Amino acid sequence: MEKDLVEYIAKSLVDDPAGVEVNMIEGEKSTILELKVAPDDIGKVIGKHGRIAKAVRTILSASATKTGKRIVLEILD
Amino acid sequence: MFKEFEGKTEKEAIDKAVEELGIDREEFDVEIVNKQSGIFRKGNVKIKVYIGESEDDNGAVDDFEKKIVEYLETLIEKMGFPGKGKIAFREENKIGIEIESENTGILIGRKGKNLDAIQLIMNVYAGRLGSDSRVIIDAENYRERREENLVRMARKSAEQVRRTQGSRLLEPMNPFERRLVHTTLNELTDIDTISEGDGLYKQIRVLYRGDVR
Repeated sequence: MEKDLVEYIAKSLVDDPAGVEVNMIEGEKSTILELKVAPDDIGKVIGKHGRIAKAVRTILSASATKTGKRIVLEILD
Repeated sequence: MFKEFEGKTEKEAIDKAVEELGIDREEFDVEIVNKQSGIFRKGNVKIKVYIGESEDDNGAVDDFEKKIVEYLETLIEKMGFPGKGKIAFREENKIGIEIESENTGILIGRKGKNLDAIQLIMNVYAGRLGSDSRVIIDAENYRERREENLVRMARKSAEQVRRTQGSRLLEPMNPFERRLVHTTLNELTDIDTISEGDGLYKQIRVLYRGDVR
């Protein structure tokens, strides 16, 4: 499941895995995933020029092709 | 675990390993450490033979390799496309992992987009493990096929702009792909290549320069 996937990736990239929290808001056609990490770890899940965040979103949408549902990843700060 | 062997040729070194270790050629992996040739040392080949331990048949020989293969397998499983990761090659500061899965099509994605995203995350993770090796993720030999296509496409565009004496803007490419196109067309003195645009995925313009000396 996509929530699990985001959680797994985020935890592997941050210094404080316990600070990782993913909230799922399910709509009809799309699912919003809200990712929260410890303040010091935000850069680690976004990356330079948003490269990491973009890769995570790409991986998410590849995963979502199974269900055909759109997945939106929001990184909260 | 690995042992090193030396011989005048690669074959001789491998034969030595087979004899000394008392195992079949199929039972171990060989990495060529260095091929020396000079006036005094004529063609000495040193090889590394990996034995045992690769019990998982994924070819991982140390903790780091085991961890990244495991990470990759968990990642694609959580994506919903389970499969296996296997160490494909080792070079200096570079390690290749091949994905075997029934879903390689989607794991590769359009123009390798998904493969690149997985590779990027894998590299950040590898860096966090303290490795300075770059991780290359591949499936179905996609990287090699893509390189061949790019070289072919680059040459074709060069012929086109030579004919029209104009220019042509290529599809967006990542830095590695662009470098390949630039170097491929660098040999042609009447053709120029420049990158246009911003960000990671810039576009190359191939243009006709004429017979400038």
